[in-house]
Amino acid sequence: MLDGLSSSLKDALKKLAGKTVIDRAAVDELVKDLQRALISSDVNVKLVMELSKSVRTRSLEEEPPKGMTVREHVLRIVYQELVRLVWASTDVKLEPQTILMAGLQGSGKTTTTAKLARFFQKKGMKVGVICADTFRPGAFDQISTLCTKIHVPCYGNPQEKDALKITREGLAALKEQELIIVDTQGRHALEADLIREIIDLNLLTKATHRWLVIDAALGQMASEQARRFHEAINIDGVIITKMDGTAKGGGALSAVAETRSGIAFIGSGETIEDLERFDPDGFISRLLGMGDLKALMEKANEAIRPEDVNVDAMMKGKFTLRDMYKQLEALNKMGPLKQIMGMLPLGNMELPEGVYDVTSTKMVRYRIIMDSMTPGELDDPSLINSSRMQRIAHGAGASPDEVRELLKYYKMMQRTLKGLRGASGGKFNMQRLMKRFSGMQ
Amino acid sequence: MFGGLREKLQAARSRLGSSIQTVITSPAADAEKTGASNTSAPAPEKQSVPPVTPEITVKPTIVDKFKVLLIERELIVSEKDVSDALSELEMTLLESDVALPVTDAIIAHVKKSLVGKHRKIGESVDSLVVGALRDALLDVLGSGFDLQAYIRSHPRPVKILFTGVNGTGKTTTVAKIGSYLKKQGFSVVIGAGDTYRAGAIEQIGVHAERLGIKIIQHPEGGDPSAVLFDTVQYATSHKIDVVLADTAGRFHNKANLMSQLDKIKRVMKPDLVVYVDEAVAGNDAVTRAAEFDKTVGADAVVLTKADMDSRGGAAISIAHTIGKPLMFIGTGQSYDDIAPFEPAGVVGELLGDA
Ligand SMILES: Nc1nc2c(ncn2[C@@H]2O[C@H](COP(=O)(O)OP(=O)(O)OP(=O)(O)O)[C@@H](O)[C@H]2O)c(=O)[nH]1
Ligand SMILES: Nc1nc2c(ncn2[C@@H]2O[C@H](COP(=O)(O)OP(=O)(O)OP(=O)(O)O)[C@@H](O)[C@H]2O)c(=O)[nH]1
Ligand SMILES: [Mg+2]
Ligand SMILES: [Mg+2]
Repeated sequence: MLDGLSSSLKDALKKLAGKTVIDRAAVDELVKDLQRALISSDVNVKLVMELSKSVRTRSLEEEPPKGMTVREHVLRIVYQELVRLVWASTDVKLEPQTILMAGLQGSGKTTTTAKLARFFQKKGMKVGVICADTFRPGAFDQISTLCTKIHVPCYGNPQEKDALKITREGLAALKEQELIIVDTQGRHALEADLIREIIDLNLLTKATHRWLVIDAALGQMASEQARRFHEAINIDGVIITKMDGTAKGGGALSAVAETRSGIAFIGSGETIEDLERFDPDGFISRLLGMGDLKALMEKANEAIRPEDVNVDAMMKGKFTLRDMYKQLEALNKMGPLKQIMGMLPLGNMELPEGVYDVTSTKMVRYRIIMDSMTPGELDDPSLINSSRMQRIAHGAGASPDEVRELLKYYKMMQRTLKGLRGASGGKFNMQRLMKRFSGMQ
Repeated sequence: MFGGLREKLQAARSRLGSSIQTVITSPAADAEKTGASNTSAPAPEKQSVPPVTPEITVKPTIVDKFKVLLIERELIVSEKDVSDALSELEMTLLESDVALPVTDAIIAHVKKSLVGKHRKIGESVDSLVVGALRDALLDVLGSGFDLQAYIRSHPRPVKILFTGVNGTGKTTTVAKIGSYLKKQGFSVVIGAGDTYRAGAIEQIGVHAERLGIKIIQHPEGGDPSAVLFDTVQYATSHKIDVVLADTAGRFHNKANLMSQLDKIKRVMKPDLVVYVDEAVAGNDAVTRAAEFDKTVGADAVVLTKADMDSRGGAAISIAHTIGKPLMFIGTGQSYDDIAPFEPAGVVGELLGDA
């Protein structure tokens, strides 16, 4: 059903494709689907409403930049609004510091503590861990087992019930280490004593960072919980755990919005190595239930399906009108041709200005004209003499000049492709290029 | 636990009530304008007071008009009448973590029972709406699960396998249920089936020791099926009433871990598979419950961490998705923080008339 949802968002996006005028109804529909997608990813409902309101207003009021289709325009706004929320990437510096871990019961603090220790250790830092969880049975066994695996000193005492005392002792015991991570017991907003405890731990450790560890599956209460933690210890980063499951992390996003912090790391598995830096594009794509950001940003790989573009034939020098049309269609779906070409690694190769000038309206005309060509003509446009041209124009309700223009454009594209082949030393790979292009961040 | 949801539902409920009331009162206004004389039913006095002396008469209140209509008319509710209120209800459910598809289903249900029907109004409008909501929620939540009754009526040992994704509270729940059953006079043995996670064996070991419950453990890294098989053997030979089998947390999208669970199931042949999730989970609750139910089955559900929030939509999401009864609610980290789930009570509480 989630697939159904994301496909409905995609459908709504499709409706905007090729549009050159902003269609209020289509935008409304898109906004509604956007809301549903975000809510089913657990983004706070109020936040979703604010966000979709500004997407709607901006989509309708802002003038789309020149050369940008309506669909791209709206998508860009959706993307910008979402990125705005997660944008602040938490600064992770390789210098002496203390990190205080905080979060709800079972969110993944202890596992993440070990992952972080490993992360900084690999960066060449001397890391130490303090087990300030005096409550959970086996807490010290858990963290000390993990630390032993990576040869990181771990201070703790399962007999001691006072977390502050352990931490104080731990800070002294580990003073040789450059970076200290303090693992704490799980707690939630309504547990006043425990909130008090973490405030004290923060004061005691003078922590450089106070990171809130949030389970990717946490629902609507994420904002509220985050607010309480933020009030208590001024959260300056969120870590989203368990992203290897199917949860979308919308709750964590809401916590980020609530704390005005950023996402420091992502937990993506149970082992010590399963820690990733945050990638906004990937995260947002998942949130929206879309395959990847390429799709979102409309420069989708999907737009260039291999079956649509016969790259091999093109590269072998066989480039028919049919190929050209598919190519145009694919490129048109991806966004302004000029922008895309500008991003391709073609060195300083000059492309004829006219290559960029095919609008979607023109493409419709081209399609109609091509529809009245014979299969032979489509495969081999050199067959088209003046009498054939007359016939084609007549059949398409076009002027011979329009047919000529199409053929001229075709020749230009053909030349351009030859140039591309030359430029890449014969090893030009369209798909690889496109992939590379869409992987750009 | 559901306090927040209750407040919100009450707001939505009164909104629904008032929108239906609008429907009812407006024809009354019409009737007044046209003389209100074509209906043959005996009109109450206040309505029949001639309009010549309005100053000295107490004007009929909304309630009075309403009473008239209760006698004279049937109520026909149109979709338009309730659409605002229903979208408010929809918001309320979503904000309470009822997953989107489940919310859709509930709204559809409520709508269906309100819209388009001719209804004799014998009681208040309020109870009409509450009735529709109650039906929908009871429908979704089903009936609870009486574990004691189940154990009493089945051959011993009754073997219970606990499953769920990482960190939801399986181990703590095993300890709580062990304590609960022990207090009810049952003998219990725990199997330390999480041989994977660091500190897991120690964790359940400490719980068992504190509770004075026998535990069967193998070293870390061992085959979980083997530990649990041994646990069942132990229970059989010692005439223990109940086997509680803890397992490592695992995600439903990891085929190897799920097939390990399947193997555990084949080896220990549990009587009950209990799926444990947390009350604070959002929409993913639906996806993972469905997957666990599909791959290893689930006979009952325990929802933990209900003390963290006051909403609890996950209960509704999961029950709706897999149609399995909710057995217990976990409400904290102490052994006594567990309560049998009683749907009627919860729904009553939600709707504010328990
Ligand atoms: N698959 C997966 N599991 C994770 C991840 N992070 C943590 N876990 C698992 O989640 C469960 C809970 O993790 P812990 O690290 O014990 O959580 P915690 O926040 O320390 O728990 P408390 O101390 O009890 O509050 C364990 O089973 C971990 O292995 C992750 O990124 N992916
Ligand atoms: N507040 C609260 N915390 C709970 C509840 N149930 C469990 N916890 C806490 O949640 C954390 C994780 O619980 P566990 O029992 O270790 O969870 P688990 O499912 O066995 O975890 P893994 O085996 O690592 O997958 C612990 O800190 C528990 O004390 C509850 O009902 N309320
Ligand atoms: Mg911990
Ligand atoms: Mg466990």
